[in-house]
Amino acid sequence: MQPLPTSLVRALFHPWAWRMAWRDSRSQRGRLALYAVSIAVGICALTAIHALRASVRQSLDTQTKNLLGTDVLVSSRQPIAQDPLVNLSSLITETGSETAFSSMLSDPSGAHSRLVQVRALEGGFPFGTTVDTVPVGAWQSLQEQHGILLDPALLAEFDVHPGDKLKLGATEFTVLGEVTKGVPRSNRFSGFASEAFIRLKDLPSTGLAGSQSLVFHHLFLELRPGTEAERKAALAEVRKSFSLKGVQIQTPEDRSETFGEGIDKAKEFLSITALTALVLGGIGVAGAIHTHIRRRVPTVAVLLCLGCPASLAFAVYMVQAATLGLMGTVLGAGLGAFAHAALVHFAGNSLPFNVAAMPQPLVILETAGAGFLLCCGFALLPLLRIRDISPTATLNARSEKVPGRSLREAGVYLLLFGLVWSVARLNGANSLRALALTASLGVAFASLTATAFGLMKFTRWIIRPSWPYLLRQGVSNLFRPQNQTLLFLLSLGLGTFLLLTTWFTQSLVLSQLKIDNGPSTPNLYLVDVQPDQTRTVRAVFEAEHLPVLEDAPMVTMRIESVKGLLLSAIEKQPQNASSLPEAKPTQRVPRWVMEREYRSTYRTTLNATETVLAGAWPPTPFVAGAPVPISLEQQLAKDLKVGVGDEIVLDVQGVPLRAVVACVRKVDWSKFNLNFFMVFPPGVLEDAPQFHLLTTRVPSGQTSGALQRTLLRAAPNVSVVDLTSILATVASLLQKAARVIQLLAGFTLAAGLPILAGALLNGRDQRLRESVLLRTLGASEQQVRAIVLVEYAALGALSELAGSLLAVGAQWAAARWIFKTPHAFETGPVLVALAISIGGSVLAGRTLSRSVCSKTPLDVLRQG
Amino acid sequence: MAERTLSSLVPPVLEVRALSKTYSDGDRSLTVLDNIHLSVAPGETCAIVGPSGSGKTTLLGLCAGLDDATSGSVQLDGETLETLSQDARAALRGRSVGFVFQNFQLIPTLTALENVLVPMELRGESGGFAEAEALLSKVGLGKRLTHYPHQLSGGEQQRVALARAFVRPPRILFADEPTGNLDAITSETLVEMLFALNRENGTALVLVTHDPALAARARRVVRMHAGRIIADERP
Ligand SMILES: Nc1ncnc2c1ncn2[C@@H]1O[C@H](COP(=O)(O)OP(=O)(O)OP(=O)(O)O)[C@@H](O)[C@H]1O
Ligand SMILES: [Mg+2]
Repeated sequence: MQPLPTSLVRALFHPWAWRMAWRDSRSQRGRLALYAVSIAVGICALTAIHALRASVRQSLDTQTKNLLGTDVLVSSRQPIAQDPLVNLSSLITETGSETAFSSMLSDPSGAHSRLVQVRALEGGFPFGTTVDTVPVGAWQSLQEQHGILLDPALLAEFDVHPGDKLKLGATEFTVLGEVTKGVPRSNRFSGFASEAFIRLKDLPSTGLAGSQSLVFHHLFLELRPGTEAERKAALAEVRKSFSLKGVQIQTPEDRSETFGEGIDKAKEFLSITALTALVLGGIGVAGAIHTHIRRRVPTVAVLLCLGCPASLAFAVYMVQAATLGLMGTVLGAGLGAFAHAALVHFAGNSLPFNVAAMPQPLVILETAGAGFLLCCGFALLPLLRIRDISPTATLNARSEKVPGRSLREAGVYLLLFGLVWSVARLNGANSLRALALTASLGVAFASLTATAFGLMKFTRWIIRPSWPYLLRQGVSNLFRPQNQTLLFLLSLGLGTFLLLTTWFTQSLVLSQLKIDNGPSTPNLYLVDVQPDQTRTVRAVFEAEHLPVLEDAPMVTMRIESVKGLLLSAIEKQPQNASSLPEAKPTQRVPRWVMEREYRSTYRTTLNATETVLAGAWPPTPFVAGAPVPISLEQQLAKDLKVGVGDEIVLDVQGVPLRAVVACVRKVDWSKFNLNFFMVFPPGVLEDAPQFHLLTTRVPSGQTSGALQRTLLRAAPNVSVVDLTSILATVASLLQKAARVIQLLAGFTLAAGLPILAGALLNGRDQRLRESVLLRTLGASEQQVRAIVLVEYAALGALSELAGSLLAVGAQWAAARWIFKTPHAFETGPVLVALAISIGGSVLAGRTLSRSVCSKTPLDVLRQG
Repeated sequence: MAERTLSSLVPPVLEVRALSKTYSDGDRSLTVLDNIHLSVAPGETCAIVGPSGSGKTTLLGLCAGLDDATSGSVQLDGETLETLSQDARAALRGRSVGFVFQNFQLIPTLTALENVLVPMELRGESGGFAEAEALLSKVGLGKRLTHYPHQLSGGEQQRVALARAFVRPPRILFADEPTGNLDAITSETLVEMLFALNRENGTALVLVTHDPALAARARRVVRMHAGRIIADERP
């Protein structure tokens, strides 16, 4: 006789555990299949969400990428040596280059001319997007023939049409058409200057290159597609290869500010939904195993009596749970892949993004693996009860707390905590955010448990013998031994919490994915308006019934010195930092930040898109002779490495001006209001040469061509910048992101409801036997139903209320700390959830009372 | 007389000393067993009788290590139960203790035959089908081998439970009202089997019963009342 294994690991591999697990499942196949299906639903949702997520993430990245038009943008004031590309050839699929500068564009007679941003291009830039032109195909024509493409405003201004000629430098170019959408700006600070595109190889003939003071050279690099990690590694390699003096490297992420934080939040939402689906699945698993184990208490007690070690008994059910989990996982992963394929097949065209017909096997494998682990983790929670079962249960039906239980339980909770945390991490949250998400789940779990116990105490206290019998019986079911209050609150309550949170988070994200394109958002800018022309311009607007939304004075200036260091001195600083491979190239003040022209305004107030980060605005009044307090935009302050109190000397068109940073502002560049890097207080710049910038809003759908011509006749030097197409582009991108979010939220809800329905049915057994006993004792079907309904409706309503309360709290926290938006309480979803959960509970109660009356009592009583 | 001498020479298979059990529910407490002393020698047959609620089942449970006493000690087959872990107690039961419950306690998901086989399987013995089948035929269930407990009557279930206890002769068998659900004839067969087990294998029997006839067949009758032993007779 060989000794039975007492260690869990050995018990798990003991053949008897497997044989017993198999036999024990025999009479329960149908029920167990149902459990496997509920696991499968969770895994299916998870697989589908994960499979979509890869595509969604990619599409969001593409949207951001469209802002830059390339994976990597290398910029310099000097021509960029292309030798590093030889070493990078394995990482890069396509390249392009650009030389950009400001120059005068004029009509062939030279009568009318205007300063434009010339962009001489070569290669396939922009990558991955199409450029919209009028006439269609003009962008391709530019690759093949000598010519020029213009911003729409320039065509209106020169009153030229495709085929006409315009002169740039020494050469005449044929106008090929207008660029309406799709060429990202390479110079972040080129401001609103209208753009003109030519071929790089036509540039020398103009004789302009080299003569300009402010020439920018750009190199566009398209990286080989790969995983996030590969991309990061490739990027690091590129940075290293181009870590030369004066070279700046940008990636699409640097540009995503145009979208506001919406896209980032959308990505964050993805990780929250995946986590939600996973935990929902976990609830399903835990509920199913819990019910299963409850029915197995007598069996385990007998096994213990017959000399079976506790760990071997545990192993029997662990084996069962793991097998169920495995079957559910395989089934779920298959269903998930199928659901994905079906979605792509039937709705692929209406999806806002491109999706591969089949999810990647690796994604499925990863998801299934994580799902299976989590499934086992959640199963451990009810399985622990087996360790609590004492052989005494064979003598009288009760089980005592076994010493050591709380320690084991703590271990399991810790394990679950770690699992959920790592899944959150895998889904892209940073460690702290993952911790916060996991902790909030923990808090929800703990509060629901506390609510359950509170509820039991409360009902026990409130119940009165004078209540009608059916009500009394139904309510006392909430606290009597073997009650399902905790089960309901944990499954239904937690489920409601998760689903409502998904919904709430969705609406928070959606609110951030809207750009303000209302009547107060400007879409037409008037640049270079002389102070004495503002009245004329205002009159034109008035005649056209257009509002003047903003009118800001602008003064051009340069930076002379920062914190006492002259520009020339900064340039001469040894740049050894950049020669160290690990040093970030941003550690020095980029030269172009120092050299560029700043157009600053003066005003006392901040507008709605600005928030003070440090210092205060308006500043305290300053005495004549003291440095002028100014406000800097945060990124500029960071680039200049200055903070509140630091001194900057500015060169205001030849006159030095001492200024001190009094305020650092955050500017929401995603809004299309007038925003400036530097803001002065009134009383300093009034006498400097200046011009005005006015904004208005043209009703949507109306072209601004006629208006532009009227304006040009009234004030010939004024430039008009039409933003309607940019606004439309951004709006459509955000709308796509919003649809993605809605789709995923819908998916999670659709998967969550059946899981919760399963949880409701799990508790059924508990009441079945008892209801049958009541039937045997002479209760009518009506009475049985009433008792069950009172209990189920009460539990449904209370679980929902507790879950909603938690969800509202979570929404408040998310709005405050994650999304940083004001929080609006939504009653609608809470009421819908209330209706669904009471309805669902009542329905579950009805099924129960029906099955009570459909089986013969003897059958049920014999089953034990 | 000879038996007396024998029993004082060999160490008892069960030795209960100053055993008490108190259930406390909140501030109320109920003493179910009060200072019980009992010693059972190998091969002895002992009937425990007493009114309902006097603590017989509780005593049996404590003797088999199914529950923990409030105070006192139990020595079973040379081992002191209080010092053993749950697993060690289970192992001890697997080795040397048989148990027949008042309420059968068959495993509902196993067939009659499989229920009988469980103790052997737990000992790591393979085979045994033939023995188990023979045993079930002996208790009149030769045709019900593959039936599940809920397909059997109470008496039939009890007979399966007995077969399970007999399949590997234990050193001591605790039986809680083994004939409680049986008709006179079946009951007689079972009692025969019990005593045959005792004769052939030297299994000590501790029987709780309300049946005076069964009690009379035991060499020793212990009378309980309200948690105490009020008489220990060897007629
Ligand atoms: N878990 C418990 N909590 C409180 N009291 C209990 C518990 N279990 C048993 N008792 C009480 O202990 C006493 C003895 O019970 P026990 O089952 O040992 O009686 P018994 O002598 O076997 O009766 P019967 O002949 O009816 O089977 C009874 O009064 C019973 O109510
Ligand atoms: Mg009893």
